[in-house]
Amino acid sequence: MARVFVSSVINGRSDRVWARVRDFNGLPSWHPGIAESRIENGEPSDKIGCVRDFRLRNGDRIREKLLGLSDFDLFCTYSILESPMGVENYVATLRLTPVTDGERTFAEWTAEFDCAPEREAELVSNIGGGVFQGGFDALKRQFGG
Amino acid sequence: MIRIVRSTIIDAPTDRVWAFLRDFNGHDRWHPAVGKSEIERNQTSDKVGCVRHFFLRDGSGLRERLLTMSDLEQTFSYCLLDTPVPLFNYVAHVRLVPVTDGDRTFWDWRCTFTTRKGEEAEMTRMVSEDIYEAGFAAVRAHLAAGSPAEARA
Repeated sequence: MARVFVSSVINGRSDRVWARVRDFNGLPSWHPGIAESRIENGEPSDKIGCVRDFRLRNGDRIREKLLGLSDFDLFCTYSILESPMGVENYVATLRLTPVTDGERTFAEWTAEFDCAPEREAELVSNIGGGVFQGGFDALKRQFGG
Repeated sequence: MIRIVRSTIIDAPTDRVWAFLRDFNGHDRWHPAVGKSEIERNQTSDKVGCVRHFFLRDGSGLRERLLTMSDLEQTFSYCLLDTPVPLFNYVAHVRLVPVTDGDRTFWDWRCTFTTRKGEEAEMTRMVSEDIYEAGFAAVRAHLAAGSPAEARA
């Protein structure tokens, strides 16, 4: 089982950052790597079990299922149903926690998955350094540092 | 039940902060409110279940029991056994998480407790400011100075 852990500090209150990231269909509005997204079967994007079908800027298409969403603990958990990445049993969680001394947010993005051993290092680097850190870098820019 | 959460970012890797915090008997070396501390029955300070008996600067004594500790998760929990102030059913959790983007530390310190009616505001202020926030500031200052407390940790 490969693991990815990336964390950062966003210069905004956690409720404001959460408002930006909670929409499971909203990746194109804040993540620079995502071109377009839709929720299958016309379901609302906060219905547990809904599936987002999205396309990356490089053309790859991914389908992911919403497994858990908490407006109280500020986290979102999802799994990959279909992707060209060559991963199995992929489950990821994006979680926000308030930093109480100052209006900042501690953001964590974790993933676990199975893959061919020779591809693990590359996948961990692409997912952690590319997708997750890329998302945090964008949020840091959007919240002014 | 009163619930307090305080958190901060320390500009040092979690291993350095954890080396400081994991000694359950080490708070007399860094926390400004704590005068002298010892572990009862000559136990080691990382033995789950051990009790630290310590005195505040004003001379009042407290006893706290270590409930959990994890070097993997960099967390520990403890509860108050005896205290001169009206903090009842007090259980606290300390958790460090790496900020991978910058090699810093997210430090979360939280608790729940009950108190006497009318003392909620003062107990909340005391725990939040005099204990947690003062603790954050003290560890930050000690780490910045590379203090002897760290060298002994």
